[in-house]
Amino acid sequence: MAIKPEDVLRAIAGARGNAICVPTMTTSPAWRTIASDDLSIGCVGFMGGASSLGLGLALAMPKRRVVVFDGDGSLLMQLGSLATIAGAAPRNLTHLIFKNGVYHTSGAQEIPGGLTVDFVQMAKGAGYRKAYAVADFDDFKRRLSSMLSDEGPLLVELHTGLADKTPMTDRGGQPFHQQVETLRNKLDKAG
Amino acid sequence: MPESIPAPLIIDTLKDTFREARGGNTREPLGWILSVPDTHQKTVLAALDKERALRVVTCATEDEANAVGAGLWIGGEPCVLMIQHAGLYASVNTLRGVAMDGRVPMFYMIGLLQREKDRDPKESRHSMVRFAEPLLDTFGVPHARLEGPDDVHLIPEYYRLSRERRGPAAVLVGLETS
Repeated sequence: MAIKPEDVLRAIAGARGNAICVPTMTTSPAWRTIASDDLSIGCVGFMGGASSLGLGLALAMPKRRVVVFDGDGSLLMQLGSLATIAGAAPRNLTHLIFKNGVYHTSGAQEIPGGLTVDFVQMAKGAGYRKAYAVADFDDFKRRLSSMLSDEGPLLVELHTGLADKTPMTDRGGQPFHQQVETLRNKLDKAG
Repeated sequence: MPESIPAPLIIDTLKDTFREARGGNTREPLGWILSVPDTHQKTVLAALDKERALRVVTCATEDEANAVGAGLWIGGEPCVLMIQHAGLYASVNTLRGVAMDGRVPMFYMIGLLQREKDRDPKESRHSMVRFAEPLLDTFGVPHARLEGPDDVHLIPEYYRLSRERRGPAAVLVGLETS
C-alpha cells in the first residue's frame, strides 16, 4: 500500500529538530497544519524551484539540516537541479521526492513517464552522495533518523499515494514574500 | 564607443560589493556567484575559478540560479547572478515569482552576447540583444549598461538598489569581458 503523505509529514515534524523544511505543491496544505509555526518556507509561485531554494538555504546555513519536500512533477520541471545540487555538494541537504506519478494539484494528469521515472538512478547519476527508494511507512520510520542526519546530498524517493488536499482544494497560507521575511528574521535571530 | 572591461576589475568590484554588504566583515566566502555560464563574461568566470574569497555555484538553468539566490538571501548570504540575455528570457517566470512577487533582492549581471560594438543594443541586428532592455523595462526591473571600465561603479550601485527596493536590479555587460 502506498505511503500516505500526511503520515510522512507528521513523522518528520516529530523528528526534524531545528531543520528548515521546504514543502511544495501537495505537501504544502498538510504541512501548514502539521507544522504551523516553524522554520519552513513553501515554494509558491515558481513550480519546480523547491530543490534549488533548498540548496541556497543549505549553502547559507551549513550547520542546519534542510529538508526539501519535492514532488515528482515539480522536480521534472527543474531536473537539472539534481546536477547543480550534486556539484555544490551540501552535506546538510535531504531531498525527499513524494512520488505519486501525477500532477495532483492541476487535476492528477500523469507526469511524463508516470511511475516508471526513476529518481534514485537520476540522483545517483547526477552525483548525490546517497539515494534510495522507500515504499512502505514502516521502512520510512526506520530510516527517518538517518535521512535527517546522513551526509548529503541525499535523495529519498517516497512511493506515496495522493495527499488529502492540494493547494487548489485548500487555498491559504502566507504569500511567498511574507514567508521569505518571516524565515529570514527567524534565522537571523537564531544566529 | 564601448570598451571591454578586464575580468580582474570586475572581480575586485564584486569583492568590494560583498564586503560592503557584510558591513566590513571579511569572512569567507565573501559572497556567492550563481552562474549559468555566459560566453560574454567567460574571462570573469575563468578568473573566478582561481578565487578563494568568492564561491561559484554553477547552475544548470537560470531558474535554479534565482531560487538558489532566494535561499542564500533568506540565510543572510550575499550573491550575484551572472547570466546572459538568453537566460533572462528563459527564466522570466522565476524572476517574477522570486525577485518580484517574493520581494527577494536579486542582482543580475547579464551578458549582451553578440552586441555590436558600433550600435546601441536597441538597434542590434540580433533579437536577443535588442529585446533585453525592453524586457527588463516591461517587468519594471531597473537596469544600467556597463559600457567600459569607468562604469564598474554601477555594480555596487545596482546591487544596493536591489536591496533597497527588495527586488530585482540588473547591469548589462555591453561588450565581452577581457
